[in-house]
Amino acid sequence: MALLSIRNVFKSYFLHGKRIDILRGVSLDIQRGELVSLVGASGAGKSTFLHVLGTLDAPAAGEVLFEDRPVFSMNDAEIAEFRNQTIGFVFQSHFLLPEFTALENVAMPALIRRQDRTGAYAYARELLERVGLGHRVDHRPGELSGGEAQRVALARALVLKPAVLLADEPTGNLDPATGEGIHQLLREVNREQGITAVVVTHNETLARSMPRRLRLAGGEVSEA
Amino acid sequence: MHSAERQTVHRWTFIWIGALVALVGFSLLGVALTSSQAWLETSPSLGLSLLGWGGLVQALNALLLVSEQPVAPVPNTGLLVAGAVVWLAGWALIAAGIRRAPASAEGPSPAAGATLYPRLARYRDFYWSTLGAYGGGMLLAEVVLILLQTVLSSGVSATELGAAGKGASSGLSLPPTGAFAIALLAGGMVAFISGFIGASRAQRLSLPEATIGVLYLGLPIPIVLTLMERLPGLQLALGYRLREVTYVAGLIGRPELGYWLVFTFLVLALVLGINTGFIAAGSGRVDLKLGFELFVARRHVAVFRPSLLLGTLAVLMFGIIPPLLIYFIIRSAEAAVERTRIRALGLKDPLAAASDLNRLKLREQSPTMMMTALSVGGVGVGVMALIIVLSVMSGFEADLQQKILGTNAHAVVSKYAGDLPEYAKVMESVRKVPGVVGQTPFIINQVMIASEGNVDGVIIKGIDPGTVGEVTDLPKNILGGGSLDILYTPEKIVHRGLPDEEPAEESGVEEDDIIRRSGTPKKAPVLPGIVIGRELAASLRVVVGDRVNVVSPLGTELSPSGPIPKSRAFRVAAVFYSGMYEYDSKFVYILLKEAQDFFGVKGATGIELKVADIDDARRIASQVVKVLGGYPYRARDWGEMNKNLFSALRLEKLVMGIILSIIIIVAAGLIVATVIMLVLEKRKEISVLKALGVPDGGIVKIFLAEGLQIGVAGGFLGLISGLSWCLFIEKAGIKLDPDVYYIPAVPVRIEPVQTVLAVVIAVLVTYLASIYPALKASSVEPVEGLKAE
Repeated sequence: MALLSIRNVFKSYFLHGKRIDILRGVSLDIQRGELVSLVGASGAGKSTFLHVLGTLDAPAAGEVLFEDRPVFSMNDAEIAEFRNQTIGFVFQSHFLLPEFTALENVAMPALIRRQDRTGAYAYARELLERVGLGHRVDHRPGELSGGEAQRVALARALVLKPAVLLADEPTGNLDPATGEGIHQLLREVNREQGITAVVVTHNETLARSMPRRLRLAGGEVSEA
Repeated sequence: MHSAERQTVHRWTFIWIGALVALVGFSLLGVALTSSQAWLETSPSLGLSLLGWGGLVQALNALLLVSEQPVAPVPNTGLLVAGAVVWLAGWALIAAGIRRAPASAEGPSPAAGATLYPRLARYRDFYWSTLGAYGGGMLLAEVVLILLQTVLSSGVSATELGAAGKGASSGLSLPPTGAFAIALLAGGMVAFISGFIGASRAQRLSLPEATIGVLYLGLPIPIVLTLMERLPGLQLALGYRLREVTYVAGLIGRPELGYWLVFTFLVLALVLGINTGFIAAGSGRVDLKLGFELFVARRHVAVFRPSLLLGTLAVLMFGIIPPLLIYFIIRSAEAAVERTRIRALGLKDPLAAASDLNRLKLREQSPTMMMTALSVGGVGVGVMALIIVLSVMSGFEADLQQKILGTNAHAVVSKYAGDLPEYAKVMESVRKVPGVVGQTPFIINQVMIASEGNVDGVIIKGIDPGTVGEVTDLPKNILGGGSLDILYTPEKIVHRGLPDEEPAEESGVEEDDIIRRSGTPKKAPVLPGIVIGRELAASLRVVVGDRVNVVSPLGTELSPSGPIPKSRAFRVAAVFYSGMYEYDSKFVYILLKEAQDFFGVKGATGIELKVADIDDARRIASQVVKVLGGYPYRARDWGEMNKNLFSALRLEKLVMGIILSIIIIVAAGLIVATVIMLVLEKRKEISVLKALGVPDGGIVKIFLAEGLQIGVAGGFLGLISGLSWCLFIEKAGIKLDPDVYYIPAVPVRIEPVQTVLAVVIAVLVTYLASIYPALKASSVEPVEGLKAE
């Protein structure tokens, strides 16, 4: 049984009233514990594909199954819970909440799940230590550098030990050295905790270092 | 999974025919109503009420004391019933035309994409069960309110009402206002719960159902109650059963205003229930926890910061200009200091200076902060104004009530016709009624009073000095430390020793008191004593010891020249001052025995009662009548005797409350704008929160909490500043022109219930105002904010 499968998904978006088809009947299986990279030209629809995978955007047709369960037929509360507990997101820019400290940002998914605050903060602190930010827990996002903020965002995505990690060009805004650090972390997480990860990237060398490589072009996904 | 979607089938023939039939029925109803005069009279006010401004117009009308003539129309009953039946039949046809499709719908399953748009499905269907919950809840709330009011207040049993026999066999005897408060709460709860159930079951707000439910099931009862005032037939049929309801509504002098205010209250409760139900269960699961949402909301809107709260409080307490001036002075001093410091630092260490400058920049506030402060201030001003004005009006009312009750009894027992010769026996029975703490017999009549200098028409009261102190403050109001007991010993009344007065008195005696004059011609005769008010003494230009003549226009005496009005001389024994011009200028007191002689009354006119709890006077009065065996005895309480005065006061207070609440509504507009700005500012954060797993309901809760914080902070500041202003007015005192007002300074009475109510109204209004922006926030799609950076 595949962890995540996509069945015949169509998706288009509208730019200046013109329809642009970005997914034309994509079908795909992702097994538990896989580390997958997804490459493609700008505007090919890599982000949209990731959003559909993570239930942030609904496809026009087709189904997304998680452990053979169609995710888009769940109601609002169930979808929210699914996003909260099963999926961890890392975006191109960190998207941390500016009013909260690094620690609170990392603990946020646990708080949303209504976990006890002290327990959540303790684990969040541990995660921050792991990504090398033990000394910046009480800083707000505005006071962190790009690389630091992205590492906080990664810690936030991992705080509830999700089954799937979806990363959308997590190193796109970073210099190569810092970016390599983030990729290193991703690989570690995949290896140590068995978290399935799908990483969208521009960087061909980084993509090549992943065990499984996908390419999105012309609305179709192919193994590269 | 697909079967979870509900399918609705519309049979358009049914619906169109049903609509036509309903229209015919509606026209028939219209014809029946217009054929009667009543419709012409009531349609303007009913129409205005439906438009929404009716309540305000009625309130203004009431304030201006525009009187409305009752009319006596006869509506065409047959046509009315036929119209109603046809109209209902039309609606039944329409209902039959909209049906749920059977679960196993034949044909292809819905398009693959259809299930992907729950947002659209949410607005598609019309559920009869939701309509039932909303409309039925509204109707049930009204019925519960009326039944509870009737059962709870004085001595009406549920069986008498024709209600289900389960109710108490004999009504509880709560005072009507207390019963009304309980009934209103219960009705509000029913409306709230039915709204909650309807919305949480349907998982949507269901505006069409709510509108139709309120219009068709909620409106009829208030309309019937309003029409009852105009239609004698209706009054005859329902008036007796609904007497407790009409009594409470009548307390403010404008029953219709009362009915519609209560209706508005119930609609508000329903709306709150619908909204709360949607928030709690709209996402498909009941989730009443708030910890996380409050955590986020507090960070988004930092309302509870000392600087913001203190600044707003200062503006509320001292007006806008002084705090603003102080603020600017402090800011410019601060800026000057900082500038010199940073400039000096810049010469030594430019980098440190730059970072200090940056810190200053960060301290500047965003426009949303400014908006938040303004909204808090707006709500605060509304609550403060409400509290101050209502407290001052309560002060006037309490003062007036105290003065009226000081001079008058709490209740009066008398017969429907004639005197009360057996008053001693009646007093004996009344004494046993619990709650009666004092009683005194009295005789009341209207007479002319004449002195040397002037003549006036007054009300004369025969009293028993021994017991009158049990009931009224008269003994305490005597000026110069005098006592009423002097009425028993008129010979001890001190005469005014002015020589030029003596002959005048002598000549007066010659006419009236021939016997005594013959006995002691040189000394002033002993006259029975009379107690008069200070204003009357001034207008008659008399002091204690002076002689006055009392002339009764009723009983006449025969004289050689024909019948002449009965007249008798009295000596002013004491002067009283109650503080009410009305009483001080219009009331005089003599001994009960003198009055019996003078007016030829056997016994007394009635008995005045004092009760332990003045709010309970109405019930005790009816208890007294019950003890006395009913007819021919009757008892009236102070509220009934001064009905017009007190209902005018209450109405004035209510109308002031409504008008001042408009300030809060304006402030609510500010809150809507502020929260919308917040939503726009936080689009990205909303998307992130959704991606992290906050359901739509959670987003709604966050932004509702943000609006509510503003309301709570504003209400709190308004409460503090309003109470401080009240205390200031009370302690410092605002002088009133003694020529115009009967009291020296503005009275203040802080009533806890109405003060709390002002804050509660503010918080409720801000809650309602935040609903729209909060729903807007929840409809932000996750991808919207995540796209562009």
